[in-house]
Amino acid sequence: MPFVTVRHFADEDIPLRLQLLREARFQANLSDFAVAASDDDLVADVRRTIAERQDERRIFTLCGPKGEVMGFAWITSIDWRNQTCELSFGVLPRHRGGPGALGVQAAHDYVRAELNMRVIVNQVLEHNTMLQSARTMAESRQVRCDYDSYTVGEWRSACYWSLTDEDMREQRAQKLARRRVLADRIRARTGELP
Amino acid sequence: MTDLIPLDPASAAAGLREAGEGARGFLGVDPVTENDALLTRRLAALDAQVFRAGDTLVGAAPNPHQPRQAYVASTSADEAALRALLGFLVTYRRATSYVALVERGAAATEALRRCGFAERGALRDHRHRSGAPVDVLVWFGKAAETCPS
Repeated sequence: MPFVTVRHFADEDIPLRLQLLREARFQANLSDFAVAASDDDLVADVRRTIAERQDERRIFTLCGPKGEVMGFAWITSIDWRNQTCELSFGVLPRHRGGPGALGVQAAHDYVRAELNMRVIVNQVLEHNTMLQSARTMAESRQVRCDYDSYTVGEWRSACYWSLTDEDMREQRAQKLARRRVLADRIRARTGELP
Repeated sequence: MTDLIPLDPASAAAGLREAGEGARGFLGVDPVTENDALLTRRLAALDAQVFRAGDTLVGAAPNPHQPRQAYVASTSADEAALRALLGFLVTYRRATSYVALVERGAAATEALRRCGFAERGALRDHRHRSGAPVDVLVWFGKAAETCPS
């Protein structure tokens, strides 16, 4: 059983989604549109997404090992024919950090393996170091866009980068190589033969 | 004779989601890639009927180009469930033949074989699932007692 499972966002998840939209860091890091919207409007909007807008945008619920909701992932700017989309994340405060990162990976895997997306576009506002450090972001970004968004009273710059199938293969190979080095080091320390 | 319980569209979508792996590709829908609302809409667009037969869900949709032919699907290898559906289609829909599109290795294949279906061809790499393209096999069956006209 994987640590994080990805399922379709459903009506019962709406209250948690609303809490997230109203949370201070979510508003600074993603969008603060919820400040000026009533609960009813937000609920109606998210219901429309569930019921009618699956071709344009989809929300997924990231669940932990006991089925508890850890956060959400959503795809927008979907181009089914060209197999590209933008993937975004909102992790609930108590799951931020390590488990949140696993959720991000699970959503990337789902979008690629099941929805058959080939290129995934990432956008992160530069000040947002919740899921990656400023250094990793500087390394991975392909485009830096000043005045990208205005959230909570400030202009924010955004970093954009795309992940292709090839990038994913490379990342996986690097991860395996790192793991192998670590395993060798542990073996060497415990005196075991490789 | 296994009883068929007709499901309303919302229960059909929920049932397919519960059925898990066996429901992937059921009449062309997929609970892994489609949410309940979308499943309901897609099944409605096909004019599909979904039934519960024990632990199995079976379903049928008319072939719009040949109204006496039905597309059929099942979530399991249960022969009795599929037989009950075929009986319903003959008795109440005057079906004379059936087509089933099933992924290579699908559980339903066994039920189709036992109900006298024959594999007629393969649609290569017709579907994408779990990171790889998969073949979809075309199974054809003829109703045993065809109606006279």
